[in-house]
Amino acid sequence: MTCHLQFVVWVLLAVAAPASAGALSIRLDDGHGHPVADAVVTLRKEGEAGPSQRAAMTKIIDQRDETFIPYVEIFRPGDQVVFRNSDRTRHHVYSFAPAKTFEFVIVPGASSPPVTLDHVGEISVGCNIHDQMITHLYVSDAPWISRSSNDGRVDFEQLPTGSYQLEVWHPQLRPGRAGPHQDVAVDDAPVNVTYSLSLLPDPRQTGDRARY
Amino acid sequence: MSFRLRLSVLFVATLVAVQIFTALLVYTVARRALITEGERQLTAGAAAVARQLDDISSRVADNVQVLALDYALRAAIAQRDQSTVLSALRNHGRRIGAERMLLIGLDGSIRSDTASVPADGQSFPFPDLADAALDRPAAAVVAMDGKAYWMIVVPVYAPEPIALIAAGIPVDNPLLVRLQQLSALPNTIELVTDTGKGHWTDIARGGGDVALAAALTAAGNSLPLSPMLVHVDGREYVALATRLRESQRSAPVAAVLGYSLDDALKPYRSVALAWASLLALGLAAGLIGAMLIARSVAQPIEALAATVHRVESGDYTVSQPMRGHGEISQLASAFTNMTHAIGEREERIRHQALHDAVTGLPNRKAAETAIHDALAGGGNASGALLMVGLARLPEIIQTMGHSICDHVMHDAGTKLRPFAARGFVARATDAQFSVWLDGTGKTDAIAVAFRILDALGVPYQEADLSIDTAPAIGIALYPQHGSEASVLLRRAEVALIAALDSADPVAVYDPTTDPHRPERLTLMTDLREALDRNDLRLHYQPKLNLRDRRIDSVEALVRWNHPQRGSVPPETFVALAEKTGNIRRLTRWVLASSIAQAQEWAARGHMLRVAVNLSARDLDDAELPRRIGDLLSLHGVSPRSIVLELTESAVMGEPEIAVQVLKRLADLGIDLAIDDFGVGQSSFAYLRRLPVREIKIDRLFTQRLGEDPADRTLVRSIVELGHRLGYRVTAEGVETRASIEYLREIGCDHAQGFYIARALPAEAAERLFTRTEWDLTRAGTSS
Repeated sequence: MTCHLQFVVWVLLAVAAPASAGALSIRLDDGHGHPVADAVVTLRKEGEAGPSQRAAMTKIIDQRDETFIPYVEIFRPGDQVVFRNSDRTRHHVYSFAPAKTFEFVIVPGASSPPVTLDHVGEISVGCNIHDQMITHLYVSDAPWISRSSNDGRVDFEQLPTGSYQLEVWHPQLRPGRAGPHQDVAVDDAPVNVTYSLSLLPDPRQTGDRARY
Repeated sequence: MSFRLRLSVLFVATLVAVQIFTALLVYTVARRALITEGERQLTAGAAAVARQLDDISSRVADNVQVLALDYALRAAIAQRDQSTVLSALRNHGRRIGAERMLLIGLDGSIRSDTASVPADGQSFPFPDLADAALDRPAAAVVAMDGKAYWMIVVPVYAPEPIALIAAGIPVDNPLLVRLQQLSALPNTIELVTDTGKGHWTDIARGGGDVALAAALTAAGNSLPLSPMLVHVDGREYVALATRLRESQRSAPVAAVLGYSLDDALKPYRSVALAWASLLALGLAAGLIGAMLIARSVAQPIEALAATVHRVESGDYTVSQPMRGHGEISQLASAFTNMTHAIGEREERIRHQALHDAVTGLPNRKAAETAIHDALAGGGNASGALLMVGLARLPEIIQTMGHSICDHVMHDAGTKLRPFAARGFVARATDAQFSVWLDGTGKTDAIAVAFRILDALGVPYQEADLSIDTAPAIGIALYPQHGSEASVLLRRAEVALIAALDSADPVAVYDPTTDPHRPERLTLMTDLREALDRNDLRLHYQPKLNLRDRRIDSVEALVRWNHPQRGSVPPETFVALAEKTGNIRRLTRWVLASSIAQAQEWAARGHMLRVAVNLSARDLDDAELPRRIGDLLSLHGVSPRSIVLELTESAVMGEPEIAVQVLKRLADLGIDLAIDDFGVGQSSFAYLRRLPVREIKIDRLFTQRLGEDPADRTLVRSIVELGHRLGYRVTAEGVETRASIEYLREIGCDHAQGFYIARALPAEAAERLFTRTEWDLTRAGTSS
């Protein structure tokens, strides 16, 4: 299948909004009208640290019903991740990602030792026993970062007016292809942006993968 | 071409034509059915090939997929452990039967290649496959290095896609063969690839060694995407191509399926062979049968035809009838009967043609043929032909009718038959028989003739009638009188006529008296031409008036100097003219010429009488007096200047018309003279009844007048008697002085003869007219 990225940008300026703060609403679909969940949207603005500055924290990736939950998790550099096995089978969790390489065999009910994610990058984690199990750890230092909900929406509020660099990432984007990224001007009026993403099949649906 | 051959050829040709037509029909139908079947098979086969290739591809892809999930491999790839990756690829390639395994980065570059160590970092040649592989395993049949491969590309997940593995599995001949074995595919299957410009080359073949693709390319055909009939090396195929799942970057690859019509027809070959054998067998049987039937039909017909040829040439001896009971035999039998009938009829006709119905004797034609054959046979030094005539036959017919005449002739024929022993007896004409005596000379012939006369001399008796036939016989002798049958017959008839005219009942042909010699006809023709061309001349013999001693009359005598024969004697051609009916023309010419001459002389003061001879035939011409009158008035000549001389015989019998003619001539004032008086049977008593003015004493009495006292007395008596009866008297043939002397003494009026002058041309005669001194006394004394 050709890799065709089609995106449409609508910028609607609210003239009556106050100049000090704005809102950015992003809607993501797959080009066929289906909302795209688990997409990561980052905003960067010159000279702005954003609200993301916080203390390091530990996030748990659960393994339940031979599925990593969640599918995509956002980390700040320095955060820790713990894999917890809530199934009755073993899981062989591994990562060959350059940002962090690890490998744990986790017996049922146990959890992995915390893994500190020091570097920015995307870390794909799989289970060597269950091919369909995959989760993505998105380590980013972007000032504004958010994950799309099941209805494919990402909303940013209280944004200082100005120009932002917007980037969209999704684990099923075609390898080697960057997600949508553009400069967006934010002022008093709410800005709505819609992107259509061309995605690979969901790798969690392993039954489809081997078939034509 | 003979009937037999034609019949056989017809039989065989029909048989062969029907068989060939049937064979063609069956072949065409079978071929069409096979083509349809081939198309059906190919369509099904093409779908099957594509499906099976997909199935196999799918299984292989599964294998590759499993392989790509191998943790160690994934770890090696993720950790970029090239040598491990390569060895693992080789190992897994062997497992799945791949000839070539590649590891492709997500950027499309080749990171490892089992066929090329180390990897040269080139781009994977089928990026579309690599791209599609991220969605689902991609597989296509590609052409690489002149070989066909399944190129199956699957991603390597770790757990996200980190690379792609491509497995190249050869699609080679064994594979195709196995495909064919697994399912009932057509026996010819090829994978072909376009090597550029529509030039299709086969890169794999299953079964068969027929280069369908090459043949298609050579024929300039594009790929047959629907069933198409093609010719390869003189064999016929139904071909169908189907495009295989392919990479956009690879040269197109298609499977071409061929359905060999010849192979399909192969099972029919044995049928065809059996058929041909049957045909040959039937042909031979038919041929022999046809020949036999034709022979049974044609042989009798040929025999019949031969017989007809024999009959045509006159041979009626038909061979024994045909055996058998068929129509031909009936025809032959009918034909035999017909031939017999024709033969008998012809014999009868021939007999009738050559025989006389009354006497049963051969006819003249048969006699001529028989004599001709006898003469042609040679060996006969002599022969005699007797022509027997019955003089009284016309009389018998007139008095007693033809029926009695036939009886008489039949009786005569019967009497003549015994003489046929020595020759050939035939009825030559109605009233004549001919008897040919072989090898008989004149003496014997005459002897036989008299014996015949004796036989025929016995009168014919019927009821109370006794009929005497008065037979006469003319004889012509071979070879004296002719060497041909027709000539002998004619001359014997001439002799017969002579015999009938004479007292002697037997006459031998005498050429000198034959009035029918052919040259006479020629002479007559010449005479007519001479008359037309005025070639005749008149000479004039002076008559001396013994009292006046002057020439006062002449006798006109005709002369003919024939261009070839010279001078022809007047008695010859005059007699001929009388017999051939030309005498009147001659007389007219003489009359016209002499009257003209008389006028000429009169104009010069010579008043002469010109005497002209008339023939007895002239007296039959009622127009003669008028004609002479016309001539006289035309020339202004007095009738008294003309004297017409007639012989005694001319007026004998005194036919009425002759007397009438003479009287009318006398009435015109023309004198008539009797010529040659004294030798005939006329008498003064008879002459008295005719208007005669002059008599001419025949030379018989005057020639020896000088010495014969009897002649002197006779002549003196004639002269005196003539004078007393009022006739002038002229003496002819006066040749001596003594004669003329005596004639003058006894008072004869005129003398004519050599002593005075011969007949002379007009000019010469005219010189004598002026001569007045005819001193008869002195002439007599001087001698």
